Amino acid sequence: MSQKDILSHHTFRKSLTILRSASYYIVKSKKLLVGTSILSSLILIAIFEPLINGVRLGGLQSSAIGYFPRLQMPSLNHPLGTDHFGRDVFAMLITGIKNSLIVGFLVGFVAISVALVVSLFAAYKGGAIDNLLNSFTNVILILPSWAIAAAAVAYIQRLDLTLVALIIASFAWAGPARQIRSQVLSLKSRPYIDLAKMVGERDSQIIFFEILPNILPYIIVGFSYAVIGGILAETGLRLIGLGAAEIMTLGLLVHIFMTSGLIIQGYYHFIIGPVISLILIFISLNLINIGLDELFNPRLKKVTGE
Amino acid sequence: MFSQHSGIQRYIIRKVVSYIVVLFLSFTAVFFILRLIPGNPIRAYVYMLRSRYGFEPIGDRTIQMFEEMFGLNEDVFSQYLIFLRRLLFEFNLGPSFMAFPTPAQELIARHLPWTIILLSVTTLLSWFIGLILGVIVGWKRGTRFDNFFFTFSLIFSQVPYYIVAVILLLLFAYIFPILPSRGAYAASLTLFDINFIISAIQHAFLPALSIILVSMTGWLISTRALVITIVGEDYLQYALAKGLSNSRIFTRYILRNTLLPQTTGLAISLGFIVTGAFLVEWIFVYPGIGALFVNAIGLLDFNVIQGIIMLTMFTVLTANLIMDLIYPLIDPRVALT
Repeated sequence: MSQKDILSHHTFRKSLTILRSASYYIVKSKKLLVGTSILSSLILIAIFEPLINGVRLGGLQSSAIGYFPRLQMPSLNHPLGTDHFGRDVFAMLITGIKNSLIVGFLVGFVAISVALVVSLFAAYKGGAIDNLLNSFTNVILILPSWAIAAAAVAYIQRLDLTLVALIIASFAWAGPARQIRSQVLSLKSRPYIDLAKMVGERDSQIIFFEILPNILPYIIVGFSYAVIGGILAETGLRLIGLGAAEIMTLGLLVHIFMTSGLIIQGYYHFIIGPVISLILIFISLNLINIGLDELFNPRLKKVTGE
Repeated sequence: MFSQHSGIQRYIIRKVVSYIVVLFLSFTAVFFILRLIPGNPIRAYVYMLRSRYGFEPIGDRTIQMFEEMFGLNEDVFSQYLIFLRRLLFEFNLGPSFMAFPTPAQELIARHLPWTIILLSVTTLLSWFIGLILGVIVGWKRGTRFDNFFFTFSLIFSQVPYYIVAVILLLLFAYIFPILPSRGAYAASLTLFDINFIISAIQHAFLPALSIILVSMTGWLISTRALVITIVGEDYLQYALAKGLSNSRIFTRYILRNTLLPQTTGLAISLGFIVTGAFLVEWIFVYPGIGALFVNAIGLLDFNVIQGIIMLTMFTVLTANLIMDLIYPLIDPRVALT
């Protein structure tokens, strides 16, 4: 067996252990269990959204206007009624859940990838590039990101979900980058890294096999906070009426309710779905974060006394 | 004595210099980020008017005239110099578009008091409530009281203000209409008297409650964590062993030691009293900076947008500087490092 084989075998074993321990921890921690089950049911709704809406609306977009009678109260045909444009509220709700989650996870993925590039490699290598990137990160952290994103979305017309997510992510990477950087800085001075260098491991090997596995919890928590931040920002942007009217998200649903007179006319059932879904998204992601924090950060575990 | 003095001087100079540098960098960053928008602010504004109202209120000659007036026909770098000169020497953010020719800073100044009142009161109240609850909960760790408040706080600490605002608006302004749903005071009141104040409090109640309910939870969580570490310290065990009364330990030992770090936190969060709750203000049509910002965004009022963004950075950084400057008075060690 060459050294490479040993390494890859080792990583395979390692990832299996991680998977196994992940499921163990999820069952063990009540917060993780509740959080992941709420989030995965929302994700299931998002996955089956095309199917459900395809059957219920017969291939029509849930944002299409004038298909059903206007302002119906909840019934078997329309579990959440219809709005003032004759759209099925339940169909809009599950499209909204899907799109909001898509934006959130896109922001999460982009933000954590940028954060990894900026912090992992730079912090390990150190030097001028690291200093520059670190100052850049700190400036980004100061900027009022939501306000700037709102300005960008207002000026750039014709935005789809991906572009909005990219705009939000261009600020959202800075927080996780700083977190990961401080972890990498503390890890790279540990004796086992010196040992790895002595054995002759290349920098890339050290980064991917010695450092990355150890900062995995921070990456997951950073990802999850970026998802929360992404959904929070996108919902806020849509709430004030920015973005395309045909792209349903939960924020747009709340905006419709607030501005179209539905609230004054007393169609309160319209708002229950979007508000509860948003609360469930935020609570479940937060529970997952707290659960992970408690598992991987023993100091915090002692502090919270759980 | 002398060396300590110069240490503090060096500390203050370092903090002030870095404040100026960071302020300059962030203003520059925002200026150039906002110039990335397609076209220029005037053209974007005119296109918005055209597409929204379906007519051409302004001809191309007029657009050019306005562009010259705003210095937009020059290259970005000279625009930047003009902007800096105006800001530093005239304290001028340029005219607003939606209330032309009122300068943007005048519009902002008109809305600022409402936001500062609402958010300073909510920040202080949520700090106070969170601190008191956090100390009690940390002291009574493991009881049912602790479990309830701590779990509630953990779960709701990440729920955004605006969701709570929508729920409260629905519950207390529409389903049970006991509080006003919009504005900052009843429009019929023009004199500043007791009725005006009562009306202002009624109008601010729901926006304030939605902010306090959420931001209180953060203070509760951090205070509880502090109290639990303090309870584990040797000096507290010693005080307990000495047989000091519970109330004495509670006020003299625990409350005092949580107060210092939490006051630091309060100072930092006071920096956010401008940005804090843009969307809450919008939801309750509260005439503060947040509502002004959302209006400016909707009408592409460039100078107001840029002005508010820079104002928020200015307050956050200035609050941090003030914090840095008074910190050596509380804890002299920081100046010596």
